[in-house]
Amino acid sequence: MKKRLYLELENCIGCRSCLAACTQCGGHEERNRNYVYDVNPLVNRQTMPLMCLHCVNPACARSCPAQAIQIHETGAVLSALVEKCIGCQNCTIACPYGIPKFDTEQNLMYKCDLCIDRSKDGIPPMCASVCPSNTLQWLTDEEIEAKQKQFNLDNGKWVTSMPYLEGETNVKVNLPGILQGVTKLF
Amino acid sequence: MQRDKFFKEIENVRHPNETLVKTHCSYCGMQCGMNLRVDTRTNKIIGVEPRYDWPVNVGKMCPKGVTAYQQTNHPDRILKPLIRDDASLKGTKEGFREATWDEAYDLIAKKFIELQGKYGKDTLSVFSGVSMTNEKCYLTGKFARVALQTRYIDYNGRFCMSSAAGGFLRSFGVDRGSTLPWTDIHESDCLFIAGSNTAECHPTSMFRIWNVQERGGYLIVADPRETPIARRADVHLDLRPGTDLALANGILNLLIQNGYADEEFVNSHTNGFEETKELVKEFTPEYTSELTGVAVEKIMRAAEIYGKAPNAVVMFARGIEQQHKGVDNVSAYTNMALVTGKIGRPKSGVATFTGQGNGQGGREHGQKSDLLPGYRKLTNPKHVEEVCKVWGITPEEMPQPGVSAYEMFELMEQKTIRGLYLLCSNPAVSAPNLNFVRKALKGLDFMVCADFYLSESAEFADVILPTVTWSEDEGTVTNLEGRIIKINKAQEPLGESKPDWQIQVELSERLGRGKYFSHLKTARDVADEFRLASKGGYADYYGATWDKIDKQDGVFWPCRDEKDPGTPHMFLDKKFYHPDGKAKICALPYRPPAEEPDATYPLRLTTGRVVFHYLSGNQTRRIQFLRDMCPEPYVEVHPETAAKYNIEHEEYVRLYTRRGEAEYKVKITEAIRKDTVFVPYHFGHDQSINLLTIPALDPMSRMPEFKACAAQIEKLARKAVQ
Repeated sequence: MKKRLYLELENCIGCRSCLAACTQCGGHEERNRNYVYDVNPLVNRQTMPLMCLHCVNPACARSCPAQAIQIHETGAVLSALVEKCIGCQNCTIACPYGIPKFDTEQNLMYKCDLCIDRSKDGIPPMCASVCPSNTLQWLTDEEIEAKQKQFNLDNGKWVTSMPYLEGETNVKVNLPGILQGVTKLF
Repeated sequence: MQRDKFFKEIENVRHPNETLVKTHCSYCGMQCGMNLRVDTRTNKIIGVEPRYDWPVNVGKMCPKGVTAYQQTNHPDRILKPLIRDDASLKGTKEGFREATWDEAYDLIAKKFIELQGKYGKDTLSVFSGVSMTNEKCYLTGKFARVALQTRYIDYNGRFCMSSAAGGFLRSFGVDRGSTLPWTDIHESDCLFIAGSNTAECHPTSMFRIWNVQERGGYLIVADPRETPIARRADVHLDLRPGTDLALANGILNLLIQNGYADEEFVNSHTNGFEETKELVKEFTPEYTSELTGVAVEKIMRAAEIYGKAPNAVVMFARGIEQQHKGVDNVSAYTNMALVTGKIGRPKSGVATFTGQGNGQGGREHGQKSDLLPGYRKLTNPKHVEEVCKVWGITPEEMPQPGVSAYEMFELMEQKTIRGLYLLCSNPAVSAPNLNFVRKALKGLDFMVCADFYLSESAEFADVILPTVTWSEDEGTVTNLEGRIIKINKAQEPLGESKPDWQIQVELSERLGRGKYFSHLKTARDVADEFRLASKGGYADYYGATWDKIDKQDGVFWPCRDEKDPGTPHMFLDKKFYHPDGKAKICALPYRPPAEEPDATYPLRLTTGRVVFHYLSGNQTRRIQFLRDMCPEPYVEVHPETAAKYNIEHEEYVRLYTRRGEAEYKVKITEAIRKDTVFVPYHFGHDQSINLLTIPALDPMSRMPEFKACAAQIEKLARKAVQ
C-alpha cells in the first residue's frame, strides 16, 4: 500500500534527530538533506522541520537544464544524477522551499530522495523512522484521511489544503494548530 | 510481546556485506531498541538501523541514539593502558605513556597494597557509575568489598536517581522507577510531569505523551522553564526552582478539599492520610502561589484536571530530585497518586524518568555505599549473610557501609581516602562544587581510572585502563520501566580494551583475591552469579534469564523464578512493600532551597541538559553531529532580566556564586522565569556549571542541590566571536 510522508508540525521538539538520521540510510554519503528551524528563538522553543515536499510537478526538476532531477515512479523527486548535474544551481533558486543543497567542491546538487532505497519498498525513510515526537510520520492515504477527520479545525479547513506555494505535493503537511479541534475527554 | 497502536510490522533494510545486531542505546534510561550495522568484511560497526519491533520506542531514536554507534571506533578511544609517572601533571592531559596490561596491573596492585598496608583497608575507594550493565554494576560492588575489602564504594547515581529511590522506598516500600510499563503512558487521560525536560532528556517518550493530548487528555508540566514539552502543556506550572514541595503540598490540599480523595483506597491501602491532610491545609492556593511564584488559577486548574482524570500518571525527573529535599519532593508528588487512588492499575501510577541507561538496575545490586545485590541492606545481618554465601566470605569479612558520592570527596580531602578506582563516571564534571572536588582528586596518593575516552576525571589519574564501549560486550540493563533487557555484542573490543568485569577479575587475581573471582570467565558467568546473588532480595532477578529476556521483549522485575513472567504493573493487588502491605502518605513540611537569593546573589541558578548531550558530555561532545548542534554551554536569561544587566543575546557574561564562576554566552529567551537563569551542565574544565553549584545534600538520599542556588551575573567587555 502506498505510503506518504506526513508532517504534523505542532509536534516538533527541535531534537534534530531527523537530520542525524538522514545521514544513516546508507545512500546519502552521510550528509543530511533537510532542515529544522527555530521558529522564534528569542521567545519560545517552537521548532519546525523543513523537508522536501516532493512536489507533483517540481520546480527544481522543471528548472533543470540537464534533466538531472528525475522523478521516481513512487513520486519521490530524486537527488541530481551525478553524471548529468552541471552545477548550475537553477534548482536551488527555483525551489520555493529552499530545499536543494549544493556541494561546491563536487559542483553537485543534492537533496532528499525520501531514502528511495527504503521508501520504494514501503519502508519509511530514516527521518520518519526515528522522529521521536511523531512530527514526521509515514502513513497510508487512509490514515491521512483519518487525520483530516480527527483534526477538524475551527476555520473549517483541513490545514494541508491551504494554498501550496508550488502546486500539489506528495508530502502532506499539517500546520501548527492541530489541538484546536480536539474534544477534551473531560 | 506487548504490541500497541504504534507498533507496525516493518522490514529492516539490509545492505550487502552487512549484518544487523539488535541491541539498545548506550545512553539514557529509555534504553531504546536499535540495530547496529556491522560490516561483515571488517567486523566493525558502521551505522545504525531502526529496531521497529522493540515495543518501547518502535524504531524511534533521538539524535544521541542515532549517532551512538560512532563512539565505538572513534579516534579518541584509549587503546592501551596509560601510566603517568610524573604526578605533578595531575589535572592535565599531559604525561601519559602507553604501557602493557601487566605493567599497569603490577603498578596498581603494588600501590593499592602499599596504601592499605600503611593506612588500612578503607584508604581505598571505588567511585562507579550506572551507564553500564547490571553484571558490571554487580561485580563492581563485589570488587570493592571482596577484592579491595574497603567500605568506601559509591556511585554517580547519587547525582541522579538516589532521591527517587529514597522517595519510592518511603512511599511504597520498594523502588521500581515506574509502577507501569511505558506502553500504558499514551492511554492515560492526564500526565502530571514535574521537573522533567522530557522532550530533550527522554525524547522517545514524546510520541506517547503528545498522543495523550491528541486523544483529548491533559498534559500538566511543572518547570521553571517553558521547555519544548511545557510549550504545549494544558497547564504550565512555572514555579521557582526549588519550591516543588510547596507546589505538591498545595495541589494535594486542593485534591483533598475538593473531594478527589479516594477514601476507600486511602483507608484500606495507605497510612498517614490524616496527618498529611492536616499538614497540607496550610498550603492554600494563595500561600502556595506565594511560595512557588505560580499563579493561583494555574494551581487550581492543575489540581482540578488531575483530580477529575479517570486515569493519570504522575511523572518526574531530576528537576525535583536534584534538590536538598529531593526525597521529600518525590514522596510529595507520589502522595497525589496515593490520596486519589490513581495507582496500582493500568494507565495510572507514578514514574520517574531514569537518567542513566542503567540507573534503575545499577542502583539495585550493590554499588551504593549501604546496599548489596537484590536491594539488600548492609545493615541487615540476614541480608549480609545471604550475600556472603554467594560470595564465599564470612559476615565478619563484609565491610561496613561507607559514605555517599560527594562525601567521598570530603574524605579524600581529609586523607581518610588516599586511593581511588574510578570507572564509568566523570565526577570532575558531574559533581557539584567542582573547585573542591577537583582539588580532592588532585590530592589523592594514587588514582586509577577505567574509561574508553580520556575524560576530565581521567586527567587526574595515575593509571588509565582502557575499557570497551557498550557495543563490545554483552549483558543486561534495566530500563526506566523496570524492564530488564539485553545488550548484545556487535564488535570485538577495539585495541587492547577490555570490559570492566574482566579488568576487575584480573586485578582481583593480582591482589591475591583470585579465588573469589577467577571462575568468572565470561559476561554470562557474571550474569549467572549476579542472578543468584539477587535471588530472594526484593529486586529479584533470578528468573530473568537471557533467554526469557529475548523471548518476551524484556522481563520486568521482580521475577523470582524460571516460570515467573515478571511484573509489568506494580501493585495490581494493591499490596505495597511495607511490612503491613500499605503505602505511606507522607506529611512533609516545606523547606526552601538551601541557598536563597539575596542582594549580592539575586538570581536563581538552575542547571540541566540539552537534547544533544548525555551526562558529563564525555561521549557526546566527541560526536561530530552532536558537537556541531551544541558546541558550548550558554546561560539562558529572560529579556527583562537581560535588560537590567544591560546584556545582549550572544554576549559573554561572567556568572558566579559563592563557590565559583564561569563565563557563558547569553541566550536570551522568554521561555524562562525572570528570576531564574539556566546553564546546561555537559561541559568540562572552565565551562562546567558545577563550578558554581551548591553541595547541599538531601539528608536521606545525599543528593546535591544541583537545581537551585543563588547567583549573580557580571557584564564583560568581550562579545561573542561570530
